[in-house]
Amino acid sequence: MYEGPIQDLVDELSRLPGIGPKSAQRLAFHIVKADPREARRLAEAIIQAKERVAFCRECGNVAEGDLCRICRDPGRDPTTLCVVEEPKDVVAMEKAGVLKGRYHVLGGAISPLDGIGPEDLRVKELLDRVEQDGVTEVIVATNPNLEGNATAMYVAALLKPAGIRVTRLASGLPVGGDLEYADEVTLGQALEGRREI
Amino acid sequence: MRLSWVELRDFRNHRETRLDVPDGVVVAVGPNGEGKTNLLEGMHYLLDLASPRVGSDLPLVRHGAQSGYVRGEVETMGGRVLVEVEVRAAGANRVQVNRSPVRRKRDLRGRVRGVFAGPDDLAIGQGDPDRRRRFVDEAVAALWPARDTLPRAYEKALRQRNRLLRDWEGAPGQAPAAIEAWDAELVETGSALTRARAEAVARIRPPAAEEFLALTRHELRVSYRPSVPVDPSAPDGLEPGRVEEAFRGRLAERRGDELVRRSTLVGPHRDELELSLRDLTVRAFASHGESWAAAIALRLGLSSAVAEALGEPPVTFLDDPFSALDPERRHRLEGRLAGRGQVVVSVADEGQVPASAAAVWDVRGGVVTPRAGGEGRRAVQ
Ligand SMILES: [Zn+2]
Repeated sequence: MYEGPIQDLVDELSRLPGIGPKSAQRLAFHIVKADPREARRLAEAIIQAKERVAFCRECGNVAEGDLCRICRDPGRDPTTLCVVEEPKDVVAMEKAGVLKGRYHVLGGAISPLDGIGPEDLRVKELLDRVEQDGVTEVIVATNPNLEGNATAMYVAALLKPAGIRVTRLASGLPVGGDLEYADEVTLGQALEGRREI
Repeated sequence: MRLSWVELRDFRNHRETRLDVPDGVVVAVGPNGEGKTNLLEGMHYLLDLASPRVGSDLPLVRHGAQSGYVRGEVETMGGRVLVEVEVRAAGANRVQVNRSPVRRKRDLRGRVRGVFAGPDDLAIGQGDPDRRRRFVDEAVAALWPARDTLPRAYEKALRQRNRLLRDWEGAPGQAPAAIEAWDAELVETGSALTRARAEAVARIRPPAAEEFLALTRHELRVSYRPSVPVDPSAPDGLEPGRVEEAFRGRLAERRGDELVRRSTLVGPHRDELELSLRDLTVRAFASHGESWAAAIALRLGLSSAVAEALGEPPVTFLDDPFSALDPERRHRLEGRLAGRGQVVVSVADEGQVPASAAAVWDVRGGVVTPRAGGEGRRAVQ
Protein backbone atom coordinates (compact mmCIF):
# COMPACT_ATOMS: atom_id res chain seq x y z
CA MET A 1 0.00 0.00 0.00
CA TYR A 2 1.19 3.47 -0.91
CA GLU A 3 -0.08 6.84 0.14
CA GLY A 4 -2.19 9.52 -1.46
CA PRO A 5 -2.34 10.06 -5.22
CA ILE A 6 -0.20 7.07 -6.22
CA GLN A 7 -2.45 4.66 -4.34
CA ASP A 8 -5.52 6.34 -5.88
CA LEU A 9 -4.02 5.76 -9.32
CA VAL A 10 -3.19 2.10 -8.51
CA ASP A 11 -6.75 1.59 -7.25
CA GLU A 12 -8.32 3.10 -10.36
CA LEU A 13 -6.11 1.15 -12.74
CA SER A 14 -6.71 -2.16 -10.99
CA ARG A 15 -10.43 -1.72 -11.63
CA LEU A 16 -9.81 -2.02 -15.38
CA PRO A 17 -10.54 -5.41 -16.97
CA GLY A 18 -7.54 -7.70 -17.15
CA ILE A 19 -5.40 -5.52 -14.86
CA GLY A 20 -4.36 -7.19 -11.62
CA PRO A 21 -2.81 -5.40 -8.63
CA LYS A 22 0.75 -6.09 -9.85
CA SER A 23 0.11 -4.67 -13.34
CA ALA A 24 -1.71 -1.69 -11.84
CA GLN A 25 1.34 -0.89 -9.73
CA ARG A 26 3.64 -1.19 -12.71
CA LEU A 27 1.43 1.06 -14.83
CA ALA A 28 1.03 3.60 -12.05
CA PHE A 29 4.78 3.93 -11.55
CA HIS A 30 5.32 4.10 -15.28
CA ILE A 31 2.88 7.02 -15.49
CA VAL A 32 4.37 8.82 -12.49
CA LYS A 33 7.87 8.52 -13.88
CA ALA A 34 6.82 9.49 -17.43
CA ASP A 35 7.21 12.85 -19.11
CA PRO A 36 4.39 15.11 -17.80
CA ARG A 37 3.20 15.68 -21.39
CA GLU A 38 2.84 11.97 -21.93
CA ALA A 39 0.71 11.59 -18.80
CA ARG A 40 -1.42 14.56 -19.84
CA ARG A 41 -1.98 13.09 -23.32
CA LEU A 42 -3.19 9.82 -21.75
CA ALA A 43 -5.56 11.63 -19.38
CA GLU A 44 -6.83 13.79 -22.23
CA ALA A 45 -7.45 10.78 -24.48
CA ILE A 46 -9.49 9.08 -21.76
CA ILE A 47 -11.61 12.19 -21.19
CA GLN A 48 -12.14 12.80 -24.92
CA ALA A 49 -13.11 9.21 -25.58
CA LYS A 50 -15.53 9.25 -22.68
CA GLU A 51 -17.10 12.54 -23.73
CA ARG A 52 -17.27 12.10 -27.48
CA VAL A 53 -17.73 8.39 -28.03
CA ALA A 54 -21.13 7.03 -27.24
CA PHE A 55 -23.05 3.95 -28.23
CA CYS A 56 -25.34 3.99 -31.22
CA ARG A 57 -28.93 4.04 -30.03
CA GLU A 58 -29.96 1.75 -32.86
CA CYS A 59 -27.35 -0.98 -32.89
CA GLY A 60 -25.15 -0.51 -29.84
CA ASN A 61 -21.97 -0.05 -31.85
CA VAL A 62 -19.56 2.71 -30.85
CA ALA A 63 -20.60 6.01 -32.40
CA GLU A 64 -19.63 9.66 -32.40
CA GLY A 65 -23.08 11.03 -31.85
CA ASP A 66 -26.48 9.46 -31.79
CA LEU A 67 -26.10 6.95 -34.58
CA CYS A 68 -23.07 5.04 -35.78
CA ARG A 69 -21.60 5.38 -39.25
CA ILE A 70 -23.30 2.18 -40.45
CA CYS A 71 -26.77 3.04 -39.18
CA ARG A 72 -26.47 6.48 -40.82
CA ASP A 73 -25.61 4.93 -44.19
CA PRO A 74 -28.82 4.69 -46.29
CA GLY A 75 -27.08 2.17 -48.55
CA ARG A 76 -27.07 -0.47 -45.80
CA ASP A 77 -29.99 -2.87 -45.99
CA PRO A 78 -32.09 -2.49 -42.81
CA THR A 79 -33.89 -5.82 -43.30
CA THR A 80 -30.79 -7.92 -42.61
CA LEU A 81 -29.24 -7.73 -39.16
CA CYS A 82 -25.96 -9.27 -38.13
CA VAL A 83 -25.90 -9.95 -34.39
CA VAL A 84 -22.49 -9.74 -32.74
CA GLU A 85 -21.24 -9.73 -29.15
CA GLU A 86 -19.05 -6.62 -29.05
CA PRO A 87 -18.27 -3.50 -31.11
CA LYS A 88 -14.88 -5.02 -31.97
CA ASP A 89 -16.73 -7.78 -33.82
CA VAL A 90 -18.36 -5.13 -36.02
CA VAL A 91 -14.84 -3.98 -36.92
CA ALA A 92 -13.85 -7.56 -37.80
CA MET A 93 -16.94 -8.11 -39.95
CA GLU A 94 -16.54 -4.76 -41.70
CA LYS A 95 -12.96 -5.65 -42.61
CA ALA A 96 -14.31 -8.70 -44.42
CA GLY A 97 -16.60 -6.24 -46.18
CA VAL A 98 -19.29 -8.64 -47.33
CA LEU A 99 -22.25 -7.70 -45.15
CA LYS A 100 -24.77 -5.46 -46.90
CA GLY A 101 -27.07 -5.28 -43.89
CA ARG A 102 -26.65 -3.66 -40.50
CA TYR A 103 -25.47 -4.82 -37.08
CA HIS A 104 -26.86 -5.41 -33.65
CA VAL A 105 -24.38 -5.47 -30.79
CA LEU A 106 -25.57 -7.54 -27.83
CA GLY A 107 -22.89 -6.38 -25.42
CA GLY A 108 -21.66 -9.89 -24.61
CA ALA A 109 -22.86 -13.48 -24.55
CA ILE A 110 -24.94 -15.33 -22.00
CA SER A 111 -22.75 -16.98 -19.40
CA PRO A 112 -24.25 -18.04 -16.06
CA LEU A 113 -20.75 -18.54 -14.62
CA ASP A 114 -20.08 -14.83 -15.20
CA GLY A 115 -23.55 -13.88 -14.01
CA ILE A 116 -24.63 -12.80 -17.50
CA GLY A 117 -28.18 -13.70 -18.45
CA PRO A 118 -30.27 -12.63 -21.45
CA GLU A 119 -31.60 -9.69 -19.44
CA ASP A 120 -28.07 -8.28 -19.26
CA LEU A 121 -27.76 -8.18 -23.05
CA ARG A 122 -29.46 -5.96 -25.63
CA VAL A 123 -31.95 -8.67 -26.52
CA LYS A 124 -35.13 -6.65 -26.03
CA GLU A 125 -33.70 -3.94 -28.28
CA LEU A 126 -33.09 -6.61 -30.90
CA LEU A 127 -36.68 -7.82 -30.79
CA ASP A 128 -37.94 -4.24 -31.05
CA ARG A 129 -35.78 -3.52 -34.07
CA VAL A 130 -36.80 -6.73 -35.80
CA GLU A 131 -40.44 -5.80 -35.38
CA GLN A 132 -40.13 -2.13 -36.34
CA ASP A 133 -37.70 -2.33 -39.25
CA GLY A 134 -39.29 -5.24 -41.11
CA VAL A 135 -36.21 -7.41 -40.61
CA THR A 136 -36.37 -10.65 -42.62
CA GLU A 137 -33.05 -12.23 -41.76
CA VAL A 138 -30.95 -12.24 -38.60
CA ILE A 139 -27.41 -13.55 -39.00
CA VAL A 140 -26.06 -14.59 -35.62
CA ALA A 141 -22.32 -13.97 -35.62
CA THR A 142 -21.59 -14.50 -31.94
CA ASN A 143 -18.20 -16.09 -31.18
CA PRO A 144 -17.83 -19.75 -32.20
CA ASN A 145 -17.46 -20.94 -28.59
CA LEU A 146 -19.80 -22.42 -25.99
CA GLU A 147 -21.26 -19.13 -24.77
CA GLY A 148 -21.56 -17.73 -28.29
CA ASN A 149 -23.36 -20.87 -29.45
CA ALA A 150 -25.76 -20.84 -26.51
CA THR A 151 -26.51 -17.17 -27.19
CA ALA A 152 -27.19 -18.00 -30.84
CA MET A 153 -29.56 -20.79 -29.82
CA TYR A 154 -31.35 -18.44 -27.45
CA VAL A 155 -31.76 -15.67 -30.03
CA ALA A 156 -32.94 -18.17 -32.64
CA ALA A 157 -35.57 -19.60 -30.29
CA LEU A 158 -36.95 -16.07 -29.75
CA LEU A 159 -37.02 -15.00 -33.39
CA LYS A 160 -38.01 -18.10 -35.30
CA PRO A 161 -41.63 -18.23 -34.08
CA ALA A 162 -42.04 -14.75 -35.63
CA GLY A 163 -41.13 -16.20 -39.02
CA ILE A 164 -37.69 -14.57 -39.17
CA ARG A 165 -34.95 -16.42 -41.04
CA VAL A 166 -32.21 -16.96 -38.43
CA THR A 167 -28.81 -18.03 -39.69
CA ARG A 168 -25.44 -18.79 -38.13
CA LEU A 169 -22.05 -18.25 -39.72
CA ALA A 170 -20.77 -21.40 -41.40
CA SER A 171 -18.25 -23.49 -39.53
CA GLY A 172 -14.65 -23.08 -40.60
CA LEU A 173 -14.04 -20.38 -38.07
CA PRO A 174 -11.53 -21.46 -35.46
CA VAL A 175 -13.65 -23.30 -32.90
CA GLY A 176 -13.52 -21.94 -29.38
CA GLY A 177 -11.91 -18.76 -30.63
CA ASP A 178 -13.03 -15.20 -31.05
CA LEU A 179 -14.48 -13.66 -34.17
CA GLU A 180 -11.88 -10.92 -34.07
CA TYR A 181 -9.06 -13.42 -34.64
CA ALA A 182 -10.55 -14.84 -37.83
CA ASP A 183 -9.01 -13.51 -41.01
CA GLU A 184 -11.10 -11.56 -43.50
CA VAL A 185 -11.28 -14.27 -46.15
CA THR A 186 -12.42 -16.90 -43.64
CA LEU A 187 -14.99 -14.53 -42.21
CA GLY A 188 -16.30 -13.67 -45.67
CA GLN A 189 -16.61 -17.35 -46.54
CA ALA A 190 -18.33 -18.08 -43.21
CA LEU A 191 -20.88 -15.38 -43.99
CA GLU A 192 -21.48 -16.61 -47.55
CA GLY A 193 -21.94 -20.15 -46.31
CA ARG A 194 -24.22 -19.30 -43.38
CA ARG A 195 -26.88 -21.84 -42.50
CA GLU A 196 -30.29 -21.63 -40.98
CA ILE A 197 -30.38 -22.56 -37.30
CA MET B 1 7.02 -47.27 -32.25
CA ARG B 2 10.12 -47.02 -30.15
CA LEU B 3 11.83 -44.36 -28.12
CA SER B 4 15.40 -44.73 -29.37
CA TRP B 5 17.10 -42.44 -26.86
CA VAL B 6 16.13 -40.15 -24.03
CA GLU B 7 17.85 -37.36 -22.16
CA LEU B 8 16.73 -35.84 -18.86
CA ARG B 9 18.39 -32.72 -17.52
CA ASP B 10 17.35 -31.18 -14.20
CA PHE B 11 14.12 -33.17 -14.41
CA ARG B 12 12.89 -34.22 -10.94
CA ASN B 13 15.97 -35.75 -9.29
CA HIS B 14 17.83 -36.43 -12.56
CA ARG B 15 20.67 -34.00 -13.04
CA GLU B 16 21.85 -35.46 -16.31
CA THR B 17 20.68 -38.80 -17.66
CA ARG B 18 21.16 -39.92 -21.23
CA LEU B 19 20.19 -43.39 -22.37
CA ASP B 20 19.86 -45.40 -25.53
CA VAL B 21 16.68 -47.43 -25.31
CA PRO B 22 16.39 -50.79 -27.06
CA ASP B 23 13.18 -52.32 -28.31
CA GLY B 24 11.39 -54.91 -26.17
CA VAL B 25 11.29 -54.99 -22.38
CA VAL B 26 13.51 -52.44 -20.65
CA VAL B 27 13.79 -52.47 -16.87
CA ALA B 28 14.75 -49.72 -14.43
CA VAL B 29 15.62 -51.18 -11.05
CA GLY B 30 16.29 -49.41 -7.78
CA PRO B 31 14.88 -48.73 -4.33
CA ASN B 32 11.93 -46.37 -4.00
CA GLY B 33 12.71 -42.67 -4.07
CA GLU B 34 15.92 -43.06 -6.11
CA GLY B 35 14.42 -41.84 -9.41
CA LYS B 36 13.17 -44.83 -11.42
CA THR B 37 9.58 -43.59 -11.55
CA ASN B 38 10.92 -40.14 -12.46
CA LEU B 39 12.77 -41.75 -15.36
CA LEU B 40 9.63 -43.47 -16.64
CA GLU B 41 7.67 -40.29 -16.12
CA GLY B 42 10.20 -38.26 -18.13
CA MET B 43 10.14 -40.77 -20.98
CA HIS B 44 6.35 -40.79 -20.98
CA TYR B 45 6.33 -37.00 -20.90
CA LEU B 46 7.99 -37.01 -24.32
CA LEU B 47 5.06 -38.94 -25.75
CA ASP B 48 2.20 -37.31 -23.90
CA LEU B 49 3.32 -33.93 -22.50
CA ALA B 50 1.52 -34.68 -19.27
CA SER B 51 2.56 -36.27 -16.03
CA PRO B 52 0.76 -39.56 -15.35
CA ARG B 53 1.19 -39.01 -11.62
CA VAL B 54 -1.77 -37.35 -10.03
CA GLY B 55 -1.39 -35.59 -6.74
CA SER B 56 2.38 -35.38 -6.90
CA ASP B 57 3.24 -31.98 -5.52
CA LEU B 58 6.95 -32.34 -6.11
CA PRO B 59 8.11 -29.98 -8.83
CA LEU B 60 9.09 -31.42 -12.20
CA VAL B 61 12.12 -29.16 -12.27
CA ARG B 62 15.07 -30.26 -10.13
CA HIS B 63 15.48 -28.21 -6.98
CA GLY B 64 17.51 -25.10 -7.65
CA ALA B 65 17.18 -25.17 -11.45
CA GLN B 66 15.10 -22.71 -13.53
CA SER B 67 14.18 -25.24 -16.19
CA GLY B 68 14.28 -28.97 -16.69
CA TYR B 69 14.79 -30.50 -20.11
CA VAL B 70 13.50 -33.75 -21.56
CA ARG B 71 14.61 -34.72 -25.03
CA GLY B 72 14.34 -37.87 -27.07
CA GLU B 73 13.64 -39.39 -30.41
CA VAL B 74 10.82 -41.72 -31.36
CA GLU B 75 10.99 -44.01 -34.36
CA THR B 76 7.54 -44.48 -35.84
CA MET B 77 6.15 -45.94 -39.05
CA GLY B 78 5.66 -42.36 -40.15
CA GLY B 79 9.32 -41.46 -39.56
CA ARG B 80 11.53 -40.19 -36.77
CA VAL B 81 10.09 -37.69 -34.36
CA LEU B 82 12.48 -35.59 -32.28
CA VAL B 83 10.76 -34.23 -29.19
CA GLU B 84 12.32 -31.56 -27.01
CA VAL B 85 10.58 -30.20 -23.95
CA GLU B 86 11.70 -27.41 -21.69
CA VAL B 87 9.82 -27.71 -18.41
CA ARG B 88 9.93 -24.34 -16.70
CA ALA B 89 9.71 -23.86 -12.94
CA ALA B 90 7.60 -20.77 -13.64
CA GLY B 91 5.69 -20.15 -16.84
CA ALA B 92 4.51 -22.34 -19.69
CA ASN B 93 6.60 -25.25 -20.96
CA ARG B 94 8.18 -25.03 -24.39
CA VAL B 95 7.79 -27.97 -26.72
CA GLN B 96 9.50 -28.55 -30.05
CA VAL B 97 8.76 -31.41 -32.40
CA ASN B 98 11.35 -31.89 -35.12
CA ARG B 99 12.66 -28.43 -34.20
CA SER B 100 9.31 -26.70 -34.70
CA PRO B 101 7.35 -25.38 -31.74
CA VAL B 102 4.00 -27.00 -30.98
CA ARG B 103 1.34 -25.47 -28.78
CA ARG B 104 -1.20 -28.19 -28.26
CA LYS B 105 -0.71 -31.63 -26.76
CA ARG B 106 -2.63 -33.23 -29.56
CA ASP B 107 -0.17 -31.90 -32.13
CA LEU B 108 2.40 -34.24 -30.58
CA ARG B 109 -0.04 -37.01 -29.66
CA GLY B 110 -1.06 -37.26 -33.28
CA ARG B 111 2.44 -38.56 -34.06
CA VAL B 112 3.61 -40.50 -31.01
CA ARG B 113 1.73 -42.35 -28.34
CA GLY B 114 2.49 -43.67 -24.85
CA VAL B 115 0.41 -45.65 -22.35
CA PHE B 116 1.38 -45.47 -18.67
CA ALA B 117 0.31 -47.75 -15.84
CA GLY B 118 1.34 -46.97 -12.28
CA PRO B 119 0.30 -47.41 -8.64
CA ASP B 120 -2.23 -44.55 -8.94
CA ASP B 121 -4.23 -46.84 -11.23
CA LEU B 122 -5.26 -49.00 -8.30
CA ALA B 123 -7.99 -46.37 -7.83
CA ILE B 124 -9.52 -47.26 -11.21
CA GLY B 125 -11.07 -50.33 -9.63
CA GLN B 126 -11.30 -49.16 -6.05
CA GLY B 127 -11.96 -45.43 -6.30
CA ASP B 128 -14.97 -43.30 -7.17
CA PRO B 129 -16.82 -43.56 -10.49
CA ASP B 130 -15.10 -40.29 -11.40
CA ARG B 131 -11.75 -42.09 -11.46
CA ARG B 132 -13.11 -44.66 -13.92
CA ARG B 133 -14.59 -41.94 -16.12
CA ARG B 134 -11.19 -40.29 -16.14
CA PHE B 135 -9.61 -43.55 -17.27
CA VAL B 136 -12.08 -43.78 -20.16
CA ASP B 137 -11.37 -40.17 -21.13
CA GLU B 138 -7.63 -40.90 -21.07
CA ALA B 139 -8.36 -43.84 -23.34
CA VAL B 140 -10.32 -41.61 -25.74
CA ALA B 141 -7.38 -39.18 -25.91
CA ALA B 142 -4.88 -42.03 -26.42
CA LEU B 143 -6.96 -43.62 -29.18
CA TRP B 144 -8.02 -40.44 -30.95
CA PRO B 145 -5.92 -37.41 -29.97
CA ALA B 146 -8.19 -35.05 -31.91
CA ARG B 147 -11.04 -35.95 -29.54
CA ASP B 148 -9.13 -34.98 -26.39
CA THR B 149 -11.10 -31.72 -26.12
CA LEU B 150 -14.45 -33.49 -25.62
CA PRO B 151 -14.33 -33.92 -21.81
CA ARG B 152 -13.46 -30.29 -21.21
CA ALA B 153 -16.07 -29.00 -23.66
CA TYR B 154 -18.73 -31.05 -21.89
CA GLU B 155 -17.54 -30.02 -18.46
CA LYS B 156 -17.78 -26.38 -19.41
CA ALA B 157 -21.33 -26.72 -20.72
CA LEU B 158 -22.23 -28.65 -17.56
CA ARG B 159 -20.78 -25.99 -15.26
CA GLN B 160 -22.64 -23.23 -17.09
CA ARG B 161 -25.91 -25.12 -16.93
CA ASN B 162 -25.45 -26.03 -13.26
CA ARG B 163 -24.77 -22.42 -12.38
CA LEU B 164 -27.90 -21.35 -14.26
CA LEU B 165 -29.97 -23.84 -12.27
CA ARG B 166 -28.32 -22.95 -8.99
CA ASP B 167 -28.60 -19.16 -9.27
CA TRP B 168 -32.06 -19.08 -10.77
CA GLU B 169 -34.61 -17.21 -8.66
CA GLY B 170 -37.97 -17.91 -10.19
CA ALA B 171 -41.32 -19.33 -9.31
CA PRO B 172 -41.40 -23.06 -8.51
CA GLY B 173 -42.05 -25.15 -11.57
CA GLN B 174 -40.81 -22.48 -13.94
CA ALA B 175 -37.59 -22.97 -15.86
CA PRO B 176 -34.92 -20.27 -16.17
CA ALA B 177 -34.78 -18.28 -19.39
CA ALA B 178 -32.25 -19.67 -21.85
CA ILE B 179 -32.34 -23.16 -20.30
CA GLU B 180 -33.10 -24.59 -23.76
CA ALA B 181 -29.96 -22.97 -25.14
CA TRP B 182 -27.88 -24.67 -22.44
CA ASP B 183 -29.76 -27.92 -22.98
CA ALA B 184 -28.66 -27.77 -26.60
CA GLU B 185 -25.01 -27.20 -25.64
CA LEU B 186 -25.14 -29.96 -23.02
CA VAL B 187 -26.65 -32.39 -25.51
CA GLU B 188 -24.20 -31.55 -28.26
CA THR B 189 -21.03 -31.79 -26.16
CA GLY B 190 -22.36 -34.64 -24.01
CA SER B 191 -23.48 -36.81 -26.92
CA ALA B 192 -20.08 -36.50 -28.57
CA LEU B 193 -18.44 -37.57 -25.30
CA THR B 194 -20.87 -40.45 -24.77
CA ARG B 195 -20.16 -41.74 -28.27
CA ALA B 196 -16.39 -41.44 -27.83
CA ARG B 197 -16.47 -43.24 -24.47
CA ALA B 198 -18.63 -46.02 -25.85
CA GLU B 199 -16.29 -46.52 -28.80
CA ALA B 200 -13.21 -46.47 -26.57
CA VAL B 201 -14.62 -49.04 -24.15
CA ALA B 202 -15.70 -51.27 -27.04
CA ARG B 203 -12.10 -51.33 -28.25
CA ILE B 204 -10.52 -51.87 -24.84
CA ARG B 205 -12.93 -54.51 -23.57
CA PRO B 206 -11.68 -57.58 -25.52
CA PRO B 207 -7.93 -57.09 -25.00
CA ALA B 208 -8.42 -56.09 -21.33
CA ALA B 209 -10.48 -59.21 -20.67
CA GLU B 210 -7.80 -61.28 -22.40
CA GLU B 211 -5.06 -59.80 -20.20
CA PHE B 212 -7.05 -60.31 -17.04
CA LEU B 213 -7.83 -63.90 -17.93
CA ALA B 214 -4.17 -64.57 -18.65
CA LEU B 215 -3.14 -63.01 -15.33
CA THR B 216 -5.76 -64.40 -12.97
CA ARG B 217 -7.61 -67.14 -14.87
CA HIS B 218 -10.80 -65.23 -14.12
CA GLU B 219 -13.16 -63.30 -16.32
CA LEU B 220 -13.20 -59.51 -16.04
CA ARG B 221 -16.31 -57.86 -17.41
CA VAL B 222 -15.91 -54.29 -18.59
CA SER B 223 -19.03 -52.41 -19.55
CA TYR B 224 -19.84 -48.82 -20.20
CA ARG B 225 -23.09 -47.70 -18.61
CA PRO B 226 -23.90 -44.26 -20.00
CA SER B 227 -26.23 -41.96 -18.08
CA VAL B 228 -28.00 -41.16 -21.35
CA PRO B 229 -30.30 -44.14 -22.04
CA VAL B 230 -28.65 -45.67 -25.07
CA ASP B 231 -27.40 -49.21 -25.52
CA PRO B 232 -23.78 -48.87 -26.61
CA SER B 233 -23.64 -52.53 -27.62
CA ALA B 234 -26.69 -52.38 -29.92
CA PRO B 235 -25.68 -52.20 -33.59
CA ASP B 236 -27.50 -48.89 -34.13
CA GLY B 237 -27.12 -47.67 -30.53
CA LEU B 238 -24.67 -44.92 -31.41
CA GLU B 239 -25.95 -43.87 -34.80
CA PRO B 240 -25.88 -40.14 -35.53
CA GLY B 241 -28.77 -38.43 -33.81
CA ARG B 242 -29.58 -41.44 -31.64
CA VAL B 243 -27.64 -40.34 -28.56
CA GLU B 244 -28.83 -36.76 -28.96
CA GLU B 245 -32.45 -37.85 -29.13
CA ALA B 246 -32.14 -40.06 -26.04
CA PHE B 247 -30.33 -37.28 -24.19
CA ARG B 248 -33.01 -34.69 -24.98
CA GLY B 249 -35.73 -37.14 -23.99
CA ARG B 250 -34.21 -37.93 -20.62
CA LEU B 251 -33.54 -34.25 -19.91
CA ALA B 252 -37.20 -33.51 -20.54
CA GLU B 253 -38.21 -36.30 -18.14
CA ARG B 254 -35.90 -35.03 -15.41
CA ARG B 255 -36.60 -31.31 -15.87
CA GLY B 256 -38.85 -31.13 -12.79
CA ASP B 257 -36.28 -32.89 -10.59
CA GLU B 258 -33.51 -30.70 -11.92
CA LEU B 259 -35.40 -27.55 -10.98
CA VAL B 260 -35.89 -28.86 -7.45
CA ARG B 261 -32.36 -30.19 -7.01
CA ARG B 262 -30.89 -27.23 -8.95
CA SER B 263 -28.38 -29.39 -10.69
CA THR B 264 -27.96 -31.31 -13.94
CA LEU B 265 -29.04 -34.90 -13.38
CA VAL B 266 -28.47 -36.41 -16.82
CA GLY B 267 -25.25 -36.66 -18.80
CA PRO B 268 -21.78 -38.18 -19.05
CA HIS B 269 -20.81 -36.79 -15.62
CA ARG B 270 -23.00 -39.61 -14.29
CA ASP B 271 -21.64 -42.37 -16.51
CA GLU B 272 -20.22 -45.52 -14.97
CA LEU B 273 -17.56 -47.86 -16.21
CA GLU B 274 -18.57 -51.12 -14.65
CA LEU B 275 -15.81 -53.56 -13.81
CA SER B 276 -17.00 -56.87 -12.51
CA LEU B 277 -15.39 -60.06 -11.47
CA ARG B 278 -17.31 -63.26 -10.75
CA ASP B 279 -20.47 -61.11 -11.08
CA LEU B 280 -19.36 -58.79 -8.30
CA THR B 281 -18.00 -55.32 -8.79
CA VAL B 282 -14.25 -54.99 -8.49
CA ARG B 283 -14.71 -52.05 -6.16
CA ALA B 284 -16.61 -53.98 -3.55
CA PHE B 285 -15.10 -57.42 -3.63
CA ALA B 286 -11.77 -57.69 -5.35
CA SER B 287 -8.61 -58.19 -3.31
CA HIS B 288 -5.76 -55.72 -3.57
CA GLY B 289 -3.99 -58.05 -6.01
CA GLU B 290 -7.09 -58.45 -8.15
CA SER B 291 -7.75 -54.70 -8.24
CA TRP B 292 -4.21 -54.20 -9.42
CA ALA B 293 -4.56 -56.98 -11.96
CA ALA B 294 -7.71 -55.25 -13.25
CA ALA B 295 -5.88 -51.93 -13.54
CA ILE B 296 -2.94 -53.52 -15.36
CA ALA B 297 -5.32 -55.41 -17.66
CA LEU B 298 -7.14 -52.16 -18.53
CA ARG B 299 -3.90 -50.33 -19.29
CA LEU B 300 -2.45 -53.19 -21.32
CA GLY B 301 -5.83 -53.48 -23.04
CA LEU B 302 -5.62 -49.80 -23.91
CA SER B 303 -2.09 -50.31 -25.20
CA SER B 304 -3.32 -53.13 -27.45
CA ALA B 305 -6.29 -51.07 -28.63
CA VAL B 306 -3.98 -48.19 -29.54
CA ALA B 307 -1.69 -50.62 -31.38
CA GLU B 308 -4.69 -51.91 -33.31
CA ALA B 309 -5.86 -48.39 -34.18
CA LEU B 310 -2.40 -47.11 -35.16
CA GLY B 311 -1.02 -50.20 -36.84
CA GLU B 312 1.99 -50.10 -34.48
CA PRO B 313 2.24 -50.43 -30.71
CA PRO B 314 2.60 -47.35 -28.52
CA VAL B 315 5.42 -47.22 -25.97
CA THR B 316 4.06 -48.85 -22.81
CA PHE B 317 5.23 -47.90 -19.31
CA LEU B 318 4.60 -50.04 -16.24
CA ASP B 319 5.65 -48.41 -12.99
CA ASP B 320 6.17 -51.05 -10.28
CA PRO B 321 3.77 -53.61 -11.76
CA PHE B 322 4.93 -56.71 -9.89
CA SER B 323 4.88 -55.76 -6.18
CA ALA B 324 1.14 -56.23 -5.71
CA LEU B 325 1.06 -59.60 -7.49
CA ASP B 326 1.75 -63.07 -6.10
CA PRO B 327 4.71 -64.94 -7.66
CA GLU B 328 2.53 -66.91 -10.04
CA ARG B 329 0.73 -63.85 -11.43
CA ARG B 330 4.02 -61.99 -11.54
CA HIS B 331 5.39 -64.70 -13.75
CA ARG B 332 2.31 -64.62 -15.99
CA LEU B 333 2.52 -60.84 -16.37
CA GLU B 334 6.16 -61.17 -17.41
CA GLY B 335 5.00 -63.47 -20.16
CA ARG B 336 2.49 -60.89 -21.39
CA LEU B 337 5.10 -58.17 -21.91
CA ALA B 338 6.81 -59.73 -24.90
CA GLY B 339 5.58 -58.97 -28.41
CA ARG B 340 3.98 -55.64 -27.63
CA GLY B 341 6.79 -53.41 -28.80
CA GLN B 342 8.75 -51.31 -26.35
CA VAL B 343 7.75 -51.80 -22.72
CA VAL B 344 9.55 -49.82 -20.03
CA VAL B 345 9.17 -51.32 -16.57
CA SER B 346 10.32 -50.17 -13.15
CA VAL B 347 10.91 -52.62 -10.29
CA ALA B 348 12.06 -52.02 -6.73
CA ASP B 349 13.50 -55.46 -6.17
CA GLU B 350 16.27 -57.27 -8.01
CA GLY B 351 14.21 -60.45 -7.85
CA GLN B 352 11.52 -58.83 -10.00
CA VAL B 353 13.73 -58.15 -13.00
CA PRO B 354 12.25 -60.21 -15.85
CA ALA B 355 14.67 -62.66 -17.44
CA SER B 356 13.58 -61.45 -20.89
CA ALA B 357 14.78 -57.87 -20.31
CA ALA B 358 16.59 -56.36 -23.31
CA ALA B 359 18.26 -53.86 -21.01
CA VAL B 360 18.53 -53.31 -17.27
CA TRP B 361 19.25 -49.91 -15.75
CA ASP B 362 20.27 -49.39 -12.14
CA VAL B 363 18.83 -46.18 -10.72
CA ARG B 364 20.38 -44.58 -7.61
CA GLY B 365 20.06 -40.96 -6.52
CA GLY B 366 18.91 -39.78 -9.93
CA VAL B 367 21.83 -41.47 -11.70
CA VAL B 368 21.10 -44.26 -14.18
CA THR B 369 23.72 -46.90 -14.87
CA PRO B 370 23.03 -49.42 -17.64
CA ARG B 371 24.29 -52.91 -16.93
CA ALA B 372 26.88 -54.18 -19.34
CA GLY B 373 26.30 -57.02 -21.77
CA GLY B 374 23.82 -57.87 -24.47
CA GLU B 375 22.67 -56.04 -27.54
CA GLY B 376 21.00 -52.78 -26.62
CA ARG B 377 22.46 -52.63 -23.14
CA ARG B 378 24.99 -50.12 -24.35
CA ALA B 379 24.30 -46.61 -23.20
CA VAL B 380 25.95 -43.25 -22.93
CA GLN B 381 26.17 -41.52 -19.61
ZN1 LIG C 1 -25.58 1.75 -35.32
